[in-house]
Formats: sequence, structure tokens, C-alpha cells
Amino acid sequence: MADDLNDREYPFGPPDEDVVAFGDGAVPGRPAGVPSSYDRGKSPRWTPEAIAEAHAVAQLGRYQIRGFSTFNTRFPTLDDLVFVPATMTRLPLEGYRESCDTKTVLGDRPGLVEQPIELDIPIYIASMSFGALSASAKAALGYGATKVGTMTCTGEGGMLEDEREASKILVYQMTPSRYMLDLEHLRMADGIEIVVGQGAKPGTGGVLLGMKIPERVASMRTLPVGVDQRSTVRHPDFLGADDLKVKIEELREATGYQVPIFVKMGATRPRWDVAIAAKAGADVIVLDGAEGGTGASPELLLDHTGIPTMSAIPAAREALEEAGLADEVKLVAAGGIRSGADAAKCLALGADCVMIGFAALMALGCNSPRYLDDYEALGTSPGRCHHCHTGRCPVGITTQDPELEQRMDVAAGAERVARLLTAWTMEISLLAKACGKSSVHNLEKEDLRALSLEASAFTGVPLAGIDRPYTW
Amino acid sequence: MTAVAYVEVGDRPIKAVNDDIRAAIAAGNEVVVTNTLSRHNLGIGLPDGAKVRFEGSVGYYCGGLNNGAHIEITRDAGWGLGEAMAAGEILVQGYVGMSAGASMRGGLIHIRGDAGPRCGVAMKGGDIIVEGRIGYLSGFMAHAGRIIALGGAGDACADSLWGGEVWVAGPIASLGVDTKVVEPEPAEVEAVEKLLASRGLDDAGRDWKKIVSAQKLWYFDSRDSRAWLMI
Amino acid sequence: MCGIAGRILGRPGTVGADLVAMMEAMVHRGGDSTGFALYGERRDDGYIVRVVGDDRRRLSADLETFLGVLRDCGGDFLEDPTWDDTGQRHVSVRMIVSPPRVDLADWVARADAIGGFQIQSVGRSLEIVKDVGTAQEVAAKHRVATFVGTHGIANARMATESKVSPTASHPFWARPFPDVAIVHNGQLTNYFLLKDRLTRKGYRFLTENDSELIAVWISDQMAKGHDLESALERSLRALDGVFTYLITTADRLGMAKDRWAIKPLAAVEDGPDLAIATEEQAVRKVYPGEVAVQTFDGPDQTATWAVGMVEVMR
Repeated sequence: MADDLNDREYPFGPPDEDVVAFGDGAVPGRPAGVPSSYDRGKSPRWTPEAIAEAHAVAQLGRYQIRGFSTFNTRFPTLDDLVFVPATMTRLPLEGYRESCDTKTVLGDRPGLVEQPIELDIPIYIASMSFGALSASAKAALGYGATKVGTMTCTGEGGMLEDEREASKILVYQMTPSRYMLDLEHLRMADGIEIVVGQGAKPGTGGVLLGMKIPERVASMRTLPVGVDQRSTVRHPDFLGADDLKVKIEELREATGYQVPIFVKMGATRPRWDVAIAAKAGADVIVLDGAEGGTGASPELLLDHTGIPTMSAIPAAREALEEAGLADEVKLVAAGGIRSGADAAKCLALGADCVMIGFAALMALGCNSPRYLDDYEALGTSPGRCHHCHTGRCPVGITTQDPELEQRMDVAAGAERVARLLTAWTMEISLLAKACGKSSVHNLEKEDLRALSLEASAFTGVPLAGIDRPYTW
Repeated sequence: MTAVAYVEVGDRPIKAVNDDIRAAIAAGNEVVVTNTLSRHNLGIGLPDGAKVRFEGSVGYYCGGLNNGAHIEITRDAGWGLGEAMAAGEILVQGYVGMSAGASMRGGLIHIRGDAGPRCGVAMKGGDIIVEGRIGYLSGFMAHAGRIIALGGAGDACADSLWGGEVWVAGPIASLGVDTKVVEPEPAEVEAVEKLLASRGLDDAGRDWKKIVSAQKLWYFDSRDSRAWLMI
Repeated sequence: MCGIAGRILGRPGTVGADLVAMMEAMVHRGGDSTGFALYGERRDDGYIVRVVGDDRRRLSADLETFLGVLRDCGGDFLEDPTWDDTGQRHVSVRMIVSPPRVDLADWVARADAIGGFQIQSVGRSLEIVKDVGTAQEVAAKHRVATFVGTHGIANARMATESKVSPTASHPFWARPFPDVAIVHNGQLTNYFLLKDRLTRKGYRFLTENDSELIAVWISDQMAKGHDLESALERSLRALDGVFTYLITTADRLGMAKDRWAIKPLAAVEDGPDLAIATEEQAVRKVYPGEVAVQTFDGPDQTATWAVGMVEVMR
């Protein structure tokens, strides 16, 4: 393993750490390894970011870790897709008056799921762990979601009492690390989500740094206080989709065939992965694209793994249709959804529902222009902060520090989450009605047009004007 | 004398079998399950106080999510035995497959034969006693709890522990990553021997190797949050 | 992702029926397509050839073309070909051919050039039968349960490709090596690297399936002078990814398991007989009584069994 590569000795003594850290001749305020310390030159390859990255790992001896989401600018964007509402060929519905159905049912499978999940809107709050988030943040998300008739998901850290109390509908996440996984807690859940991966860092396990593992988090995760948690990516007792089938049966037996079983994955080969998860028995498949966020990850994974959400959804939809399972298995899309328009486009591309992470945190106050000194102490400012991994969140969301956590007002945060979800639901239904739909679930790929060859090639959406998708 | 109810597995749907087992338990019976044919998902989430014996071999996840029941399997068990068990006891007279006691949180698993790979993987508490040998990568990523192997261990024993202990008497094929073999305190040895004695496994002459985490994988190299702000 | 099984009978018997029973028990691991590689009575006068045609309506034309190629290569039909009567669009054909005068690989390559009419197996005793559907369905279509033979392997597959195709499923024939077949549970991760190398050496692949590659890779090793045991050992490091596979020749069954012990196998040896499968409960279909079951749970394992006698080497 690379962890023990640097074990050999030099023929001379160990070097001075200060000099290794480029300390000789250094200028105050311009530490090596931080992009803002460099001026931008003419090289398109050795940008300040690339130079800083090399200097940084030369000092650290390992990959860098941060929170938030990808900085890769090469991703295609949902902004390249527009809706084509009804004009002459079809009838629009009154956007401000007529109704549009937003109810979303997950896990409607008589015989397998006796109590499907019924949401009032096609959006729910993504799994973000207690540990990554403060208890106040989890509670606020729960209350806000419940207010508008939707749900939250526990995330990796186990079932927090505060969240179970706040959320009327709560999905319990079963990650490879199996924190707090036992019969009692499983039976307290309204759904169980088996995690195979997540969009931000597919193929790897959860990460939570020691600064965010105080007593309460540690005891829930059966970890020593302050360790840097790096979870496994594989589950301990099933090692493939064929075994997953037997595992899902076990979970149904444990919960009396009452609740839906979700399988969550990062988007890599969705055409095969989604088909296989559906055949293995999942009731709901959650597909998290590469733009998905995280509290902490090796940075390279954020920028260099996974495929874009917008390209993953059509592939997943096709997989379900071809497997003949589209009526039974629901598809939830996640990964960098920033607005009602984004959400509506995901539904049109083939999702039955969307899941939001950072958007909900924005409602709580992430990157809001307050406590500016604390942003500065982190070396950042509102609008550019991505330091969730440090536990020093200036607005009390991604922290375990009680003083910082107090800045996260649960009631106000819940209300903002409720208002964001309400606004988004209005946005989605406004677009749907403009397209003549009486239900947001009738949005289809044909309601979209692509503004670029790339967007069309990635999604199969027809190009604006010529009305044909880009094909080879 | 508690009444005994018999439930047959055969070719029946597992849901029906488990429903019968649950009903028999609810009616206050001890349960004997016959014609098990190595089938999967038998006896999931059994409640505190239940007593169930499986006559024959069982498949995957037998006794999974055990919540306090007393379970016996008279021959072999497949993988995932007693996974996520919170309390209770499981006794296997024969061999147990991969990932026995995976992520268990409490209670006791006792295997008379050998255990396959990944015995006690991700366990969070409780005890696993294996009279035979534990397989490849046993104890992997355990957080807490004790694995006691009387007949030796396979490769990569006790790899990547967060916490917990792996006690091995007999040869160890190889140790896993980030392990430390320590000299156990007399009080600890006494506790282990006492537990074994309570299972009818007295033997004063064992040469114990106690393996714990060397804790080098517990941390990245810096505690200072500023050291993480490289970008 | 699937379930695999193997069966050896010391004295020829209904090996097909036993494999069907084991496959049925593992339908939860894959019910999209099922396949069988069966070894029946040996033909010393020629080869048994199994072909799948895309379109039954073209069958007589395809047969004529096929025969033309065969005769050009110096071979001929020894018996009239027969085919299934399922009425499906694709058709499964059985032929007995005399050995071509040219290299077998050469003849197979020329036959492969015929579009939509593809050889699934060639052997003195091997016959590969595979189709969409569960074990019961495939067995009914192709009369597997009554097949009398000495050994065989089978696979119950969970298809992930959009077309649930009868020919993209296991078992695979190690083209062009007669009598070699494989079933495999797992997924190789250096498939394209290995396939590229073997293709440059002149091998041809019917599909993009990694199981097909393993069969050819092992056969290539044996063609280079390694025996089966040695080839299995070498595969433990040459193949990357997850695999537990069963590979058969005219007189042996071999097994190899990856270094991480991901996909187990359970087996019962009963004198000269063997039943082996991914899950013990499948083996119990053939041996429902209380028998000693051998589990292959550990990492880096290989084993071979000879057909006709008990001889296990590990």
C-alpha cells in the first residue's frame, strides 16, 4: 500500500520539516501549495491550481482532502438544456392557476413493500451523516422536509434521535461500515438505503476527519474519539449484485416486508449498474452523479471520477425500461442539482424524483455572507467556501464544535428549507404546466432541447431547431 | 418443560418458514427447524428469549439481526451468520462460512469447527469463539468486540482494526495491516479463559497471541485543521 | 453476476437433470438466461457442433452456406443437422461434422464470417446449450434434462446488457479449442488488456464477455505447454478482478478462485461423482441428505477433478 511506501531511510539525516514545506525564502501570506499564492502565467497546463497541487502533495505526502463538490470545469451542464413549452401544437396549462400533481410514491410494490413512501413533492433531502453535519443541521433538515411533506435520509452516521424526531419520514442508510445497524434501528426506519457508492467519490468509502469525531459521533460509530475515519467501500457480508439479492431478502424478512429498499450508487456505468441493482431486487435506485457533494473526500476523486448526472439519468432510464422494470423500480437522481429548473430537467430526462444535498445546506446557510471573519480565517469567503472537512464551518452546519453549531438556528433553518422546497416545487410545476403537463411526472425528454452538440450527445435530447439528437 | 414446535423448511418460501418460526415463538414454544437444506435467510431478527434449533446446515445470514435469541445450528452455516446481531447467542456445531458475525454489536457466536474468511468483519461488540481456525482477513475493520480462535488463523489476521481484539491460540498464517501483537494482562487472560470455560472449553495450556490495532491507520498525519487547508 | 455449477458422474447418467436442479435453486442469482455445457458420448469420427442462428426463417439458406464453407475446408455433415422446435426467432442447431482437412481454427474463422449464424461449441463430446429464460425454460426448450453424459457445467445469468441475448450468456466455448468450456462468476477488471493481447495473437472472440476470455486464456496457456493445474495457478495473478470459474475439458473439471475470496463454491464429492455450485443450497438439490460439504471459501484457490475417478489436486 502507498501508506507504507515512504519507509526507507536516506543516507543522510531526516530533512528539516520547515524546509520541506518550502519555508526557506518564503514570503508571509503566500504559503506554497495554496493556489492564491501564485500569479497566473501563460501555461494552460501549469495553472496556479496545478502548481499549487504539486507543491501541496510534495509537502503532505498524501492526497489532499476537502469537502463540497467537483471543481472540474469540463463537465457538460444542465444549463445547455432548455424546455420547449406548449405553443401552437399543444396546450399549456395555466401556470399560476391550474393544478399540477407533484405527489411521488416510492416503493409501490404490493407483496414486497406494504408501506410505500408517499411524498407530496418530487424532491427529498439527501443522505448526509450526523458527523459530517451537526445535530442541529440534521434536525433543521428534518423539520423543514416534514413541513412540506417530504423526507430525509440518515446518512452514514447511524440514526440520530434528533433526526428521527424531526423527520416524519426517514430513510435509514446502510453503508459498508454499518454504523448503528441493528434490528431495533432498522425497524424504526421508513425505508432502508443500501449504499454501494456515492457520486462525489464512487468506488471508495466514507471519510470523516478526527476534528469532527467528538464523543457523540464516536459512540454512534463505535470509533475512538478523534480518529480519521476512512470507511470501507465494500459491504462486509455481501460482495456482488448476486449476493445483494439474498441480502435484500434478509432485510425484508427483518422488517416484515413493510418498507422499501433503496440502493444508492455513484454514476459510473449506469446502464449496467442500474439494470443489475433493479434485478437484484431494489425498490428504489438512487443514482448520484459526479457533481454530487460530500463533507470530505480525497480531492482527486471529486474531480476525476464519475460521470455527469445529466448523462447518467437517460442511461439509467433506458436500463430500467429495457429490463421491463420501470413500473416497479423508481429512479431517484442526485448530484449537483441547484434549482427547480435543474430538478425539472432531471425529471424530464427520466428521473422519478430528485434528491438534494448542498442545495438544502444552502437553505440552512452554507456560504451565506455572515461571520465573515471566520470565513477569512479559513482562507476563503462566502461564495467560495468548500471547507466542510475542517469542522470549522462558520455557519454551524458541517461542524461538531458546539459554539459554531449554535449559529445554526434550527427553527429558522427549518423554515428556510421548507421555503426552498416550496419554491422549487412551484418552479418545477410552473415548467411542467407551461409544457402542458398535469403531473410533473409526465415531463419527458421530448420537452427539452439541447443548445449544444455536447449536451445532445450526452443525453439524447434533440438539438434546438433541427429537433433531432446528435448521433454518430 | 417448554413446548417444542417443529417447523420444516424443505422447498417452502422462506417468508412462510420465517412466519411459522415467529408464530411458534410468539406462542411461547421452543422451535426446532428441520430439513433446512442449506437455505438462506432462516431466523432473521429473532426476539429476546426465543430458542431455535436448526437441524441441518443453513445458508446465508442465518440468525441475522438477532435481537436476543438462543440459536443452534447442528451442522454448517453459510456466510453472514448472525450479522448485525445485537444480543443473544448462536452456536454452530460445524463449519461457518465467510463474514460470520459481520458488524455484530453484542452477544456471543460460538463455532465448533472452522470459520471462513472475514470472520467478525466490521464487528462493533460481542464475542466470537471459534474452536477451529479463522480464515483469511478475519477481524477486518473490527471496531470493538473479541474474536477468540483456538485453532489458529489464516492470512491477513486482524487487518485494519479500529478497535477490538483478536485472540489466537495456534499458528497464524500472517498478520494483517496495522496490527500489534501484545502481551495480554493476566486479568484479560483470566477473562478469556473464564468465557471459554463457560462454553466447556477449559484448557490452561493455551499460548495466546493477542492482536490489537497498531493505530497507525487511525490518523492522517496532522491534527491541525490548518494543515488541511492547502487549497 | 450469476450462479454457476458443475457435475461429474462416474458412470454416464442424466447429468443435465442434475445441473438443471442446481440452476433452479440459484434462479435468484440470475433468471434471464441459463446455459449448459454438457459432455455426452464421444464421437471419434468427427465433432459435435452447436450453432445458434439469429433468424429461423433463414435457416435453410444459412445451413447451405455453412455446409459450403465446411466442404471447402474438407469436411462434411456426418448426419442431418437437427434443430429446436421452440418457434423462437433464434434457432439452436446441432450438427455432427467430419473433421475438416484444414486447421480447426481456420475452419471456425471462416464459418464465423457467416453473419447471424454462429458456432457456440465444437467438441468430440462437448455440447453447449444456452438460451434466454430460467433453467426450467431452457431445459424444456432443448431437452437438457434427458441428456446422458459424464460431466457438465452450467450458469444462471443475470443479464445486464440491453439485449437479453441467447449467445451472450454462459457457458462459453474456448474458441477454437475443441471440448473446452467455461462458466464464471465475477467480473474481470483487466479484460480489455488481456483481450487485446490475445486478439493480436490471432484469437477471435464471439462476445465482449470476460468469461469467454478466461476460457481462451487458459486454453492458450495449455497450448503453450502448461497443464490445466498450472494454467489455473497462473490465472490467479494474470487475471485481475473477481472470479470464481469452472472450466471443463473432455476429461477434467478445473476451478480457480480470486485472491480476495469474494465468490465462494461448495462441493460434494461422492466417490467418482462431484456436485459443485456457488451456493451450498444448490448442491443440496442433488444431495438433500446430510453429506459432508466441502467449501472453497478461501482466497487463491485452485482445484481439478478428473472425470471417471476421484482425484483432487489443490
